[in-house]
Amino acid sequence: MSSAAEVAPAGAGESSTLVLEGLVAGYGGVIALDGVSLSARAAAITAVLGANGAGKTTLLRAVSGMIRPRRGRVLLGGADLAGRNPEQMVRAGIAHVPEGQGVIAELTVEENLRVGMMSWRGATRRAPARAGHARAANSRAERTAALDEAYERFKPLADRRRKLAATLSGGERQMLVIARALLARPRVLLLDEPSLGLAPRVMTQVMDLVVQLSRENGLTIVLVEQNARAALAIADHGVVLNLGRVVASADARTLAADVALRHHYLGF
Amino acid sequence: MVEFLQFTLSGVVFGMIYAAVALSLVLIWRGTRLLNYGQGGMAMFTTYVAIEVVYRTGSYWAGFVVALAAGIVLGAAFQLTVIRPTMNKPPLNGVIVTIGLLTLIEGLAGIFFGGQYRSFPAAFSVTGLKIGTTPLGVSRFDVFTALAVLATTLVLAAAFKYTTAGLRMRAAAFNATIARLSGIRVARVLTVGWALAGLIGALAGVLVSPSTFLYPNSMDTIFVFGFTAAVIGGLDSPVGAVVGGLLLGIALSYVGGYLGSDLTAVVALGVLVVVLMIRPGGLFSGARIRRV
Repeated sequence: MSSAAEVAPAGAGESSTLVLEGLVAGYGGVIALDGVSLSARAAAITAVLGANGAGKTTLLRAVSGMIRPRRGRVLLGGADLAGRNPEQMVRAGIAHVPEGQGVIAELTVEENLRVGMMSWRGATRRAPARAGHARAANSRAERTAALDEAYERFKPLADRRRKLAATLSGGERQMLVIARALLARPRVLLLDEPSLGLAPRVMTQVMDLVVQLSRENGLTIVLVEQNARAALAIADHGVVLNLGRVVASADARTLAADVALRHHYLGF
Repeated sequence: MVEFLQFTLSGVVFGMIYAAVALSLVLIWRGTRLLNYGQGGMAMFTTYVAIEVVYRTGSYWAGFVVALAAGIVLGAAFQLTVIRPTMNKPPLNGVIVTIGLLTLIEGLAGIFFGGQYRSFPAAFSVTGLKIGTTPLGVSRFDVFTALAVLATTLVLAAAFKYTTAGLRMRAAAFNATIARLSGIRVARVLTVGWALAGLIGALAGVLVSPSTFLYPNSMDTIFVFGFTAAVIGGLDSPVGAVVGGLLLGIALSYVGGYLGSDLTAVVALGVLVVVLMIRPGGLFSGARIRRV
């Protein structure tokens, strides 16, 4: 039925499960994240939901090292990565796509994509996705191949490779930032509001892409969304935050069916 | 007509020196949003180092190379020791630190090398070139000066555009957050930026000193001209820095030639004020909006 059984997803399995334990983080005197624990499985989408100020973005920032957690653990494949900086986190396999379609506007599309491979050099080799993949990991040929692969998947970017990223539409920008994050060859992809500001049709495309990345590429996806309905529609698991704490954590379908919870925290 | 040609050519030569200083300021500004007031002082100091090497070894080129190397070391060392700690602080902290550097380095130069004017040798003849019997107003060394800055600029521009290291620097300068999330060690890249700025500043110091003499404050005026050139170019744009340097050099050469050389500093400051009032983003800022 599904081809997922035949093609073993790249990083699937225990080593790609992201586990957060009692994560505490904040800004100055404000605690934005007050002891959050969750587990995000490989080849699955974990949606993190909640109102503005619930701590969703802070959660991603703490996981990717943009802010230093004050307490708690960030476990990937059993290793505690908490306290590492973003440069190290991406090398450890955690790619963070911040909100707001953050392309580097002054660079061309291709340059943006090449930035995505900056973690390659000096990176600790991860388990190769395919045989012979890791050996030539830093060669020019492999970089070119990775770029071609990205253009193959994101065809609209191929036509605009020499254009400045500033000239792209919102949907293309979102495509570009996701493509850039994928070029780092992560095991875990943190997505912050990928649908924000996109036209409904484009938003559907982005959501389809997220599903594809989880099902076909076996990525561990943590999806932060304001649009809880859309997020739960594609997620496997949902975690609801309120004022920096987990108030609900369940199967996405169960959460979507919980009228009281939806009404209280998710606004639909 | 001959006069005009002479003023133009010598304006180009000085313009290239202002361009070099402007370029060194732009390299730091792009990465750290910080104006390095110590840039001229650093260049003065590395030129003193060069003069000592030249006197001891008798070789101009040994001094030249050592000056550039000293520029790299000084730039990187300064960034690592005193700039890095100010990076997550209010921007004014960094500015004050660079002003402190200027005072410190000029004081140290006075202690180490003395305050008297010293002449710095030129690599080539400084007698004016002629076409037939027409003097061009520039010497062989002036030609070398212009070409050296031009070559440095072109190499730098090509490196920024076509190498991975250059892309890393541009990405870090344009968007440090995304650069870090992509695995670029931005702190390290900034140190490289300061080292490059030190190198180019040192080049400017060595090239300008044969015509200005060397003393602890000798680069102050050049710094102001270089800063003005950088502002004309928009502080963000290496190309703008070079064009700004050339425009300012030629303009000041006409002012000095036709109106009197004591007016050049006043005119330079006037240009600075006018540019900041009319086009604070510089001539090359275009319609780009900076996110804050």
